[in-house]
Amino acid sequence: MPDYYDEEKEKIINLAEKIPKLIFSKKIFGIILVLVIALYLASGIFIVAPDEQGVVRRFGKFVRIESPGLNYHLPYPIETVVTPAVTRVKRVEIGFRTISPGPPVRYQKLPAEALMLTGDENIVSAEAIVQYKIKDPVGYLFNIILPEETVKNAAEAALRQVIGERKIDEALTVGKYEIQEGTKKLLQDLLDSYKSGIFVVAVQLQDVNPPNEVQEAFKDVASAKEDKSKYINQAQGYENDLIPKARGEAVQITKEAEGYKIERIKKAEGDVAKFNSILTEYKKGEYITQARLYLETMEEILPNMNKVIVDLKENQSLINLLPLGDTSILTAPSKEVAK
Amino acid sequence: MKKGTLLIILIVVILFLANLSLFIVDETKQAIVLQFGKPIRAIKEPGLNWKVPFIQNVVFFEDRLLVYDAAPTEIITKDKKTLIVDNYARWKIIDPLEFLQTVHDLIGAQARLDDIIYSELRVDLGLFDMSEIVSERREGIMKRVTEISNEKANTYGIEIIDVRIKRVDLPPENEKYIFDRMKAERERIAKQYRAEGQEESAKIIAETEREKTVILAEAYKTAQTLKGEGEAEAIKIYAESFNQDPEFYKFYRTLEAYRKTFIDKTTVLLSTDSDFLKYLSKP
Repeated sequence: MPDYYDEEKEKIINLAEKIPKLIFSKKIFGIILVLVIALYLASGIFIVAPDEQGVVRRFGKFVRIESPGLNYHLPYPIETVVTPAVTRVKRVEIGFRTISPGPPVRYQKLPAEALMLTGDENIVSAEAIVQYKIKDPVGYLFNIILPEETVKNAAEAALRQVIGERKIDEALTVGKYEIQEGTKKLLQDLLDSYKSGIFVVAVQLQDVNPPNEVQEAFKDVASAKEDKSKYINQAQGYENDLIPKARGEAVQITKEAEGYKIERIKKAEGDVAKFNSILTEYKKGEYITQARLYLETMEEILPNMNKVIVDLKENQSLINLLPLGDTSILTAPSKEVAK
Repeated sequence: MKKGTLLIILIVVILFLANLSLFIVDETKQAIVLQFGKPIRAIKEPGLNWKVPFIQNVVFFEDRLLVYDAAPTEIITKDKKTLIVDNYARWKIIDPLEFLQTVHDLIGAQARLDDIIYSELRVDLGLFDMSEIVSERREGIMKRVTEISNEKANTYGIEIIDVRIKRVDLPPENEKYIFDRMKAERERIAKQYRAEGQEESAKIIAETEREKTVILAEAYKTAQTLKGEGEAEAIKIYAESFNQDPEFYKFYRTLEAYRKTFIDKTTVLLSTDSDFLKYLSKP
């Protein structure tokens, strides 16, 4: 053991003798010194990425902004740099959270955050995305803490205020664009008043819906609207069906009447033409023709009739001669009946 | 070689002393130099500063906007409605000396801000009706609360930049009441739409019926006029012709009528006096 111990000791002593030689060798010392100083100075080299800006502080005080590329600052602790990404657009979500960006995208709704009061004391559920970026890195770095929370708080306050100024129907329908723009402006004003150096790129209203609890009633209003136009359409259909039919009927009636008129006139003309012809001939032998016509008619009509011939000279009273009750006379067989 | 060693020792000593006496105040910070715990001076500008080693020390304070986010609280409005108000504030240490002496640190400040902002908000919101708070008065209330709270906070070396109502909600039991009311309102609107549709429909149908009747009546009128014209024309034509010899017309027409009227089985009483039979009795 002692041997071993001595040996070790000797080694250490030998080593100790060598060390000073190494360090205090002028040449090596010089090289190391230069190397250390060079490394120290080189530690100030930094790269600013294309979407960043380099904010340089000297002893904690802001001095300059460096553009993207290779840059240099005096080494720590004299100067320090941070490089915030100024062109990168960040987003906060109000009323929901994206669980996985997908695809398929999955969301989780946050009713407590989404439900808000409207000006007419109704409740709507609104979801929005706020996109923002850094417009002034100095303000962003030195004036505010928790930038994301700052934007989120202010955005929530702004959105609720803007929705609170509107009535529910307005918020649900036509007011969407106005709500977006109003919120964006109010949010920007707020962030400017904090000198946050944040620029609001956009406020996108995802959805403004009635809350789940009353969703059905709202849907029913929509279908009532549909019903309304359905009723009107049906009535108009009825109208479109009935009126042309009536017009058709009207045309039919008038045409018929026109026909009747012409018929009457033509008939009259025909009758008259016939009569005129007969009259012309009649004029040539009035008595004869009259007698002939009379007799021809009698001849034509009497054969088919039951006839009772009465001699008025012998039986002055007609009544007495009526064959009342005597059917044999009334039904005196004619040729037609016999058949 | 000795020189070099001395140089290094000197540098180390200087750096050691510098480390003890120099300090950096960052752009985001402000500082107070204390001597045996007693504030000597406040440093608000960023940069390199010095202190006496060992007997002086430095405390730093945040120079950026700070967040005060209170838990939501129930507040009674002027119209006796309960609202749950969630507000936040942005504030800043403007006088670190005062700040250190009155509230000491952030935790102390938070407690003091709680008192100031909460009570001010409670008072101000109590002055207005719920609908006013939700809509038109909101901005004004927030401005006023900010102003008054700020005045009060100034004594603690604090500036309140903005007190903002983040959320104004109803307690759950009132929410249910609102939902019921919204439902009723929607039902009313739905009914109205349907009734309007039916009204409109009835109007159109009635108008259609009317139009149909009018069209047919017009047609009837035209038809009757035409028929009348036809009759008139016919009468005129007949009259003109028959007037040439009314006697003959009567005779001729009578015969024609006989033909049509005396058809089968008509019993006729013929007098021997008649023209037709007169030859029967006196041959």
